[in-house]
Amino acid sequence: MSLTHEREDVLVKTLKENFPSDIKEATVVRRSRINVVVPPEKITNIAVFLRDKLGYDHPSGVSAVDYNRESRFEIVYHLATIKTRDQQDIVINLKESVPRNSPRAVSLVNVWPGVENYERESMEMFGIQFDGHPRPEKLFLNDNWEGPPPMRKEVRFPTD
Amino acid sequence: MATTEKSADTTGMQAMSPTEPGAQTMTLSVGPQHSGSGHMRLIVELDGDIIISAMPDPGYVHRGIEKIIELRNIIRSIPVIERPSIIDASNLNHAWVKAIEELQGVEPPSRGQYLRCLINEMNRIMSHLYWLSIYGVFLGHTTMFMWPLGDRELFIDLAESLTGARITYSYLVPGGVRRDLPKGFAEETIKRTKYFEKRLDEYENIFFKNPLFTSRAKGIGVLTRERAVALGSTGPTLRGSGIDRDLRKDEPYAAYGELDFKVHTRPDGDSYSRAMVHMDEMRESSQLIRQILEKLPSGPVRRKAPIVVPRGEAYARVESARGECSFYLIGEGGDKPYRARYITGSYRNLTAIPEVLKGVRLADMPTSWWSIDYWPVEADR
Repeated sequence: MSLTHEREDVLVKTLKENFPSDIKEATVVRRSRINVVVPPEKITNIAVFLRDKLGYDHPSGVSAVDYNRESRFEIVYHLATIKTRDQQDIVINLKESVPRNSPRAVSLVNVWPGVENYERESMEMFGIQFDGHPRPEKLFLNDNWEGPPPMRKEVRFPTD
Repeated sequence: MATTEKSADTTGMQAMSPTEPGAQTMTLSVGPQHSGSGHMRLIVELDGDIIISAMPDPGYVHRGIEKIIELRNIIRSIPVIERPSIIDASNLNHAWVKAIEELQGVEPPSRGQYLRCLINEMNRIMSHLYWLSIYGVFLGHTTMFMWPLGDRELFIDLAESLTGARITYSYLVPGGVRRDLPKGFAEETIKRTKYFEKRLDEYENIFFKNPLFTSRAKGIGVLTRERAVALGSTGPTLRGSGIDRDLRKDEPYAAYGELDFKVHTRPDGDSYSRAMVHMDEMRESSQLIRQILEKLPSGPVRRKAPIVVPRGEAYARVESARGECSFYLIGEGGDKPYRARYITGSYRNLTAIPEVLKGVRLADMPTSWWSIDYWPVEADR
């Protein structure tokens, strides 16, 4: 295994060249892992570019993280590629931040159909709204759940 | 036997069936019931006995494990993390310790890495055998229910002698594994894997070549290559659609980079293809176990690792029995993670269920659905 990150660097460079003003940050975290931070209003264009031009056609998951001290939620799309064989190990984490008091993001189901359930889970567990989602319903929670979104940091267990 | 006739007839009916729900259709709630793997419900829209849509309704076995992990130290979380799929415990355990080690910068000793692969491959076989036995039930094949569960004991006994537990081992810890091999383990394991491979031949003769199975699996429940990619399918479901992807090869971890094995695929994307991928993988894993024991290096099995999640983030993934299992771990320097996102193979394959069941006859629903090896508890977490 080489210690340099040539393939990762090329991907980061391509992204920065194509979206010079839109990408806030694109870094190689460690071997095979790239973080790309984008503004929520630009995410669809960059997602389509990742899928069509860089071969990131295989969604591996979506995470939401509650940074309550910074008053924001971070939504992270974990992306892998089937199309581009020599990048099979490289995962791109596409990140956007939405404000905690009005958490709204654009759904990327139209770009990657496989993210549908992960976005639904982020809706019920964190209370984030995904505009344009085809089924904005509860996934794991009961339909009559009335408590706060349970994965938010202020929700504690009685034993905690 | 009128096998070919039956298959042709089914295909014809699918082609004629309407694809839109309407006044002539019926909605059927299947479950929530325990189908050998945890409670699960499907809402099925039927036209006659043809399924025109099937929506999964998961969540009956949701435990909030991501929240529990945030409140416990990383060692106390290990048994919790194994719970979603107790039949595949070590693979899930592996994803967790891999994420922690990535943040800590700890690399387990070589013997520890080999022992991780050993228990992982034993687990893959045990998990596939459990899957096969339930598949037998769904097809009304009692022998195929009994045999795999019986043969699974071969490996459960071995795992017990290695780890002290039959199914949930908590064997992998940050820095390595808990115990070295007991006396006589290698000899007994080699003997048992050879016996097991002979049994696989018998499985093939009694079940996988049996029209009872093939006529209800070939050409039924098709997931195309394109849809498998777009829906993010993983594991045997992805490989059953002809895509040659396996993290043990694609991003080699533990000792997999030093081992010689094949990734099995089948081209058709139907129930038969997915079932045969499971079958091929059991044979491969059995041979791999012997190879691991042959190549096993000497030395310590564990290195000291602190009970700390250092500041930063890691995304670690492993190939579990049901596909990619990943942890997105965010640390703040304490003994608990700030956030641990837990995505399992079954959760990822949840999107494949509506796709696979569309156009299938109601009577073929259990077998088509189970060919995905969807484990509700693992998906709900």
